[in-house]
Amino acid sequence: MLVIRAATVVAFGLVLGAAAARAAETKPADAKPAAKPSKAKAAKDKAAKDGLPAARLDAARAALVGDDDAAAIAAASSLGASGAANAAEPLAELLAVGTSPSRAEAALDALAKLGAAGVLTAPRALDVVDLYCGHRAPEVRQRAIKALGTIKDPRVVPTLVARLGDVAPGVRAAAGEALAARKERAGTPRLFALVKRGDAGAASPLAALATPDLIPQIAELAGTVDDAVLATALGDYAQRSDVPDRQRLDVVRTIAKLSGAGATTALVEYVASVPAKEERPSKREAQKLLDQRESAQ
Amino acid sequence: MNANAMRARPSVLLLVAAAALSACATSPYKRAGNAGEVAAALARSQPAAPSPRSLVFLVLGGSAGQRVAAYDLATSRLVWTQPGEVTTRIEVGGDIIVHGAPAQTGSGGLIVARDIGNGAVLWQHPLLEKERLAGYDVDAHAVYVVIQTQGLTKRGTTGSVLALDPRTKAVLWRHELPTGHVAGPAVRGGLIAVPVDSQYVILLDRATGAELAQVLSTAEAATFVRALPEGMFYGSRGVFLLSAATARGSRESPGYLLAKLPPFVRPFYWYDLYRPEQTRYSAIDRNHILWRVSVDGERARFRDETVVIHDYRFLFGFDAASGALRWAYSHPSDAVASTDTGSVIAFVSTDGDIGALDRVTGARRYQARLSGEVVNAATFDADGFSPTLAGSESGAGAAPDLVATLGAIVADPDRRFPDMKLFAIEEIGRQPGREATGKLLEILGERGMTPLAAQKTSEALAARKDTQSADLLAAALRRHADYADDRTAPPVDFLARAVAALGAGGRSVTPELVAQLRLPETPTPAAAQIARALIATGGEEGIPALRDYLTMYRADPVHDADPSALIAVAEALIKLGGPADRRLLLFVAEEPHTVAPLRAHLVKALGETDPGAVTRTATRD
Repeated sequence: MLVIRAATVVAFGLVLGAAAARAAETKPADAKPAAKPSKAKAAKDKAAKDGLPAARLDAARAALVGDDDAAAIAAASSLGASGAANAAEPLAELLAVGTSPSRAEAALDALAKLGAAGVLTAPRALDVVDLYCGHRAPEVRQRAIKALGTIKDPRVVPTLVARLGDVAPGVRAAAGEALAARKERAGTPRLFALVKRGDAGAASPLAALATPDLIPQIAELAGTVDDAVLATALGDYAQRSDVPDRQRLDVVRTIAKLSGAGATTALVEYVASVPAKEERPSKREAQKLLDQRESAQ
Repeated sequence: MNANAMRARPSVLLLVAAAALSACATSPYKRAGNAGEVAAALARSQPAAPSPRSLVFLVLGGSAGQRVAAYDLATSRLVWTQPGEVTTRIEVGGDIIVHGAPAQTGSGGLIVARDIGNGAVLWQHPLLEKERLAGYDVDAHAVYVVIQTQGLTKRGTTGSVLALDPRTKAVLWRHELPTGHVAGPAVRGGLIAVPVDSQYVILLDRATGAELAQVLSTAEAATFVRALPEGMFYGSRGVFLLSAATARGSRESPGYLLAKLPPFVRPFYWYDLYRPEQTRYSAIDRNHILWRVSVDGERARFRDETVVIHDYRFLFGFDAASGALRWAYSHPSDAVASTDTGSVIAFVSTDGDIGALDRVTGARRYQARLSGEVVNAATFDADGFSPTLAGSESGAGAAPDLVATLGAIVADPDRRFPDMKLFAIEEIGRQPGREATGKLLEILGERGMTPLAAQKTSEALAARKDTQSADLLAAALRRHADYADDRTAPPVDFLARAVAALGAGGRSVTPELVAQLRLPETPTPAAAQIARALIATGGEEGIPALRDYLTMYRADPVHDADPSALIAVAEALIKLGGPADRRLLLFVAEEPHTVAPLRAHLVKALGETDPGAVTRTATRD
């Protein structure tokens, strides 16, 4: 038993050692806090600052590698909810030495929560999450991508862009959403290529990242791509606050030329997205076009 | 054997002997196999002077209706076109052509003779209701028709040879054959050869119809006779040069020819003249062996040691002795007819291309086009046709690039030729140089390959062990699947197998193997193959990726049923890794969540490679 324990410790060191070596090449992560944290955020920040006590971490480690699947998953969830920076360590260790897909998914979900809380800064967490972005199980990959997207480190971008070409739609969509959330334009050409192939999951991320000059190209896809996909892309684009209303007007008219419920939904959502008191030509046009669609039906 | 049986034996033998003697007494084939008579018959035969013509007679279809036409290869122009339907094959001799035509009244059909100069019908010979046409041949003196006449019973069916005047169809003579089981004839230099009863060939005097000799084929059936300027031939599975030595034909005869050919080739040397359907143009005209012979007394060999295979759209030149491929040619459409003129392989395609390739090199030596026509069939009368390609110094175009042609055959969307495609893959594998390796890799990258073709390509690639082209393998492995770019994954397992075959020479491909091992879409069997390739090449740079693979999947129940990839990766770590890797493997072996088959394997493998070392190391650490 002593031998096994010794080997286990060595294995952690070996696998994570490799990760640490890769991490040494990295720049410090950009972990700038939000401008005005809420109370809950403040509490989490405190936990992040103080970290979880060693005893709790040891208990979590034991549960994560124990025989009880449910307990392992609960431990992962608890670590993820803690908001503590050191909560990532047991999770990263679990993934580094390997585990079942269900536990890996739970660990990645937990890491994603820590990432969303802005505390996933450990370089080895980045490495191990990046590794799991190449896992054979699409469910695992999808969760890894979500977790990776939360890490504020530019090194995650190539993996996110690469996974836009994943065979699994869920993984592609997760990668697109992560890039959109990061306002990372590196993936825009590939998102456009996906929309061109009718990939519904790429429509919203493309809308979030598209530059004005890309919109006519998206509009030109009408007739070759499912109208619902185009309506989503154009509708979401119209809702962006940084789009000039003159272009919104064109976008709204383009949407109106599309058929199906997707186009109607895009127009409805656009009208709803504009504050009631705000008057915009594009909003009026969208409403008019909606009325025409209704009367036509 | 008991005493009664021994007593009975002499009487049985006597009965057999008596039956045999009785048969001899009544057999019409008493002369069969008489070498002296065959030699005498051949001595009387004088081959006709070679024809100065180079014509091809075309059976045309399409919107203009059914027609017969003559095309002059020498001047590349259509000489004449006449309306008419052709049933049985056009034969040419003297100044006429003969072909079959549908019956006008419901009888057994017509034999039609046309003037070779303008295609005008000279005469028509209707077959009687009880007559079945076995075949015909033509020379300057007559049209020789073999007819089977139905009797009241099967035994009552008779066969005869009819000689008709070529210009008037007057009957010159009629010879009754000894059997009704008869086949179409061939005429050469005053000698008519007629196969009968499957294994005999009766030789008749052209002038009188008198029987001169009988040939007995003892080794194989004699289903064809064929007249060529270099001699008269008969055979079925192989070819016998008719001579005194082959009066009783056996495969040991110096006049027997059989080319060594790959399995996809249909070993069809000439039409089975017993089969009425083969008197008509058919798929056989598009799929057969083209051969000419060099004759030295009674010895024969394939001319230039070459035979050519016509297989629909493709022509292949083979070394007849070794079966080695010399050249290959691919045409865009089916060639409906082809002939070996002794100098070139001439062919006509369905859409009117007329071409000729050098029979030894495959280089283009002639091309013409009959625009706007649909060619259903054709017969050449172009023996000795030896054109030179206009505008080329050598008289021929460049010989077709063998690897490129074979590659095109493999990639061809035409699904009629699966065996030929497999052959083409194997042949590419036999060709030296980077071009062949590159072509095999290109083929492996094709979509829609059959599993067997992919397997063959992989085997050919691995068998080459082309270390000079390791960079090509690396380039192929750099491809990966990408949905956004609509790109599919390369066949990683096959490529990894080819890298493994290079041994240490494949080590430069390690980075690409590692990258593939890390990709989620790399199939599990391919991961196993990558691990084996890393072992074979000594790719230690792959150790970190092997570690990651092992740890990431060691507890994945997917590998419970098939742990081969995990085991291969573990084996690679044992062979390539150091003490730290053995410690990792020990951890994996002992950790309870590791899939059971891998644990069992590791416990055994670690013990076998260095019993005690792992425990010592781990305890020390």
